[in-house]
Amino acid sequence: MRKVLLAALVIGSILLALYPMVATGYGIRFMLQLFMWVALAQSWNLISGLTGYVSFGHVAFFGTGAYTAAILVATHGWHWAPASFTGGIAGVVLALIIGYPCLRLKGPYFAIAMLGLNEVMRVLVSYFEGLTGGGLGISLPILYASIQIYYAMGLAAIAVTATAYLIISSRFGLRLMTIREDEIAAEAMGVDTARYKLYAFLLSAFIPGVVGGLHARDQGYIEPLSVFPLLTTITMIVMALFGGKGTVWGPVLGATMLFVFQELVWARFLYLHQILFGAIIVFVVLLMPRGILGVLQQRYHLSRSL
Amino acid sequence: MQNGHLLELRQVTKRFGGVTAVNCCSFELAPGKIYGLIGPNGSGKTTLFNCITGLEVREEGEIRFKGERIDGLKPHQVAHRGIGRTFQIIRVFPELTALENLLVVTWQPFDAAQDRAQELLRFVTLDRLQNEYAGNLSYGQQKLLEFARILMTDPELILLDEPAAGVNRTLLNELLQAIRNLRARGKTVFIVEHDMKVIMDLSERIFVLNYGEKIAEGPPGLVQSDERVIEAYFGR
Repeated sequence: MRKVLLAALVIGSILLALYPMVATGYGIRFMLQLFMWVALAQSWNLISGLTGYVSFGHVAFFGTGAYTAAILVATHGWHWAPASFTGGIAGVVLALIIGYPCLRLKGPYFAIAMLGLNEVMRVLVSYFEGLTGGGLGISLPILYASIQIYYAMGLAAIAVTATAYLIISSRFGLRLMTIREDEIAAEAMGVDTARYKLYAFLLSAFIPGVVGGLHARDQGYIEPLSVFPLLTTITMIVMALFGGKGTVWGPVLGATMLFVFQELVWARFLYLHQILFGAIIVFVVLLMPRGILGVLQQRYHLSRSL
Repeated sequence: MQNGHLLELRQVTKRFGGVTAVNCCSFELAPGKIYGLIGPNGSGKTTLFNCITGLEVREEGEIRFKGERIDGLKPHQVAHRGIGRTFQIIRVFPELTALENLLVVTWQPFDAAQDRAQELLRFVTLDRLQNEYAGNLSYGQQKLLEFARILMTDPELILLDEPAAGVNRTLLNELLQAIRNLRARGKTVFIVEHDMKVIMDLSERIFVLNYGEKIAEGPPGLVQSDERVIEAYFGR
């Protein structure tokens, strides 16, 4: 089973690596965005799927990375690759600043604090016009780099999934899960929950920052509303939940299925697609809170890192 | 170890708003014995356990473990000093397997931890269920798993909050035997229990709390006939 999976992964990666040679411009952009969603859903999974601390503002790291990278590219003339990496670091720094106080909040309070963070970040970038262009946004110099960004996004998705694999198949990951299962018992059994939560939070903030930077380069123009939308957070949460939070492949599966589905539907039915998306949220929360892989895992005792 | 005490409480007080849950409690536990803690509902037994393990912060007084202050430490720090506990309500990790429930609480190398966990699961007769999710186990099995999880951390002092509650007779006898075995291995056990027969059989020394105050202390026979204890339980 494991060998089959490994072989499929290797073949899949090779095919994806060769894909740009035959792809159309649309194909490249489609896959690039799919990679982005995989990376975002998987990042959310690292904190929320494992520790149960539901982050309702994860797009804040995405937006912070996007602005950091865009400023570095547009006003300091950086190459987009190091700029995006720096965007990731900006995400981690933000997570460090707000993680320390916010991770003391439990359950819905943490979720709301994170929701608030996102709003605050959006207002801040609108306010500091000198640095961010305010509501006018930032235009990046014109550059045709879709294929390079395709690879960079793919790499980000692979990196965060590999991180999830390493964590979930280790005792570090199990200890993060004890926080989700019963934080008080975890403390009493010797798990330094405050520190573990913070580690998971920092890890989960890096890739959204990088991906935000890549997204800014790819779009060529960003403004506060375009990189801090609540909908992006909700989408990554739904993707991770749909595939199965707390598993390695759940967010990958969920992001792939929902993104493909969305792409198929919205091109044909512009308004219907939002209703359908809402219906999926209701369906998952009510009938399948563990998600596809979560259900399979419980029923057939599959490993979380399958 | 100062004057031979493993655990020492000096004038410990804990209030919740206007309610004094634990009031100026002092007592000592010597190593290698089984101690009982009894008292009517709401007399502060669990709060006292919470103060010892750091889940609640005592307002006044000192708590020493092996001569060192442990009041003010975080629960995980207290756990690493060598105090383990179970809870009144079962607190296993439901979506982790039985084996994983044990593996997460130890920091020893993985292979050694795996061997030790399997040995403990055999000891509590859960070895066939090691890959089952803890949440799917029966109440009694979860109780055993929680007990095994404590042993996994190999604490010197073990606090058991109502180990007998909701456990059938057969299982109970196994559990009591396991507790006696711990004592035989030099561990100190401190038990809160409502089942008087269990606690009188098991304990070598009993503390009685009423309204957060220690009203009696002594060997089981003596405590049972103490007038203040009878009054606390049955009224005047």
